[in-house]
Amino acid sequence: MKTPKNTETRTWPGAIPLESLYTAGLGGQVFFKALKERGEIVGTRCASCKQVYVPARVFCERCFAELSEQVTVRPQGTLVSFTFSNFNRDAQPLARPQALALVRLDEASTVLLHYLLKVTDPTQVSIGAQVKMVIKPKAKRTGSILDIEGFVLA
Amino acid sequence: MSMRRVAVVGAGMTKFMRRALETPKELAWLAAKGALDSAGMTLDQIQGVVHGTAPDAFDGLHMKGEYLSEGSGGWKKPYLRCYVGGGTGVYAIAQGWFQVASGLFDTALVVCEEKMSTCLPHPQAAFLTIFDNITEQPLKPNLLWIFALEQNRYMARHGIRVEEIARVSVKNKRNALGHPSAQLGAELTVKDVLASEIMAWPVHRLMVSPTSDGAAAVVLAAEDVAKRVTDKPVWIQGVGWCLDTTYWTNRDLYYPEYVEKAAWMAYHMAGIREPRQEINIAEPYDPFAYKELHHLEGLQLAPKGKAPQLLADGVFDRDGDLPSSPSGGLLGVGNPIAAAGTMKVCELFWQLRGEAGPRQVPGKPRRGVAQAWGDLMQVGTVVVMGTAQL
Repeated sequence: MKTPKNTETRTWPGAIPLESLYTAGLGGQVFFKALKERGEIVGTRCASCKQVYVPARVFCERCFAELSEQVTVRPQGTLVSFTFSNFNRDAQPLARPQALALVRLDEASTVLLHYLLKVTDPTQVSIGAQVKMVIKPKAKRTGSILDIEGFVLA
Repeated sequence: MSMRRVAVVGAGMTKFMRRALETPKELAWLAAKGALDSAGMTLDQIQGVVHGTAPDAFDGLHMKGEYLSEGSGGWKKPYLRCYVGGGTGVYAIAQGWFQVASGLFDTALVVCEEKMSTCLPHPQAAFLTIFDNITEQPLKPNLLWIFALEQNRYMARHGIRVEEIARVSVKNKRNALGHPSAQLGAELTVKDVLASEIMAWPVHRLMVSPTSDGAAAVVLAAEDVAKRVTDKPVWIQGVGWCLDTTYWTNRDLYYPEYVEKAAWMAYHMAGIREPRQEINIAEPYDPFAYKELHHLEGLQLAPKGKAPQLLADGVFDRDGDLPSSPSGGLLGVGNPIAAAGTMKVCELFWQLRGEAGPRQVPGKPRRGVAQAWGDLMQVGTVVVMGTAQL
């Protein structure tokens, strides 16, 4: 961080000196283990609320039931929305637009945010399109949401 | 003031520990579900949800209140996060109380959560930037500085010896041995406490509460609902809170005047004139050993400077005349900041219902006070609870 050159106005740089070690949690352990080891997408079902949560969760937000019924869902779904972002997080222009997708997997009640791959222009895409998930090869998987590369149009 | 009567009808908490496997959201759910289950209620019977959590930084998230909403049962409900630093856990009870006492809702779920082990290199780092960024931060202060300065002021003003302070650690860590959720229950001696390293003189390591992960929750209900769901409602008889100046150096640190003001607000509401005679059990905030004594004095449960003598006389033991921190307190059960205050409220609930198991205070206590403290050493939050419907 640079200190401004104006010496009349007293300012100085500072920071909140923190880092975090996030835990996947009880639900996340199930989801990431299945993704890393088997390349599968696992959710949990609340039978009474008729919801399938993906990634797997340990409780139902609607009724608070503990969710023990795991469901492996197919890695395909419907495009709920998309965009092409032309700027990065620091407001700098990107060399190539970044395509993003909101996808409802066919057997899930929930919607996932991820990258939309192999498209360069909004005219190539339409909401409601069928998409397929691309999962990295096993050797490259670490147990992260980035073990999923993104979605491609089916 | 025409307010409806409000009772605590259920309480739940997670184990307090280091490095919980659960996410913060999952911890909140475990406590909230436990509170609902103990009341024999389900989430659809809850009309409003209050969440309390201290610095955002602990969970490594901003908008942490929103992040924690589903775990707290806030899905598609009127949901509110409240925050007064370490005072949050008791203040959140007051927030839930407003919602029910006012007639707005018949039920409210109050959930407080903290996951401190997420925060690296040490949760302490989240506090470095609470200090004034012009006059204090350049000195690189840490929390221990102000606790040490305050403890020294308190000791010097009244001629208190450090051995007398160490007794709080001995009592609370021993009490915590009876708590199934406790992180640091232990059988120690004053000598052990004084042999532990000096963090910042006169504060020794065993006079400091641990960093913890955990959550605690209670269910509040209006009179008619409370009487329907339980034979043993524990009534909220009074709530109070007060903030002193953020220029903490300008206060005389030997006495927490803001705790006194908060306490009298709650006592007036509860019709208490002689706190020492009318309160059977106390859960004062004890993040540091001396703070329990400091707060007992602020709560009017000991004359200024006399809490150490009463402690030495056994008055604050579990079987003493005025048991203090029978739970084991923050020193023994643990200190997941906001959840720690709510843990004290849970303890009053269990104690006043006679359900505290091995921790049960003898003599059927009828009324208790819980207190938390925080922000920049400036807030006191107080709740008075009792078996009598006033």
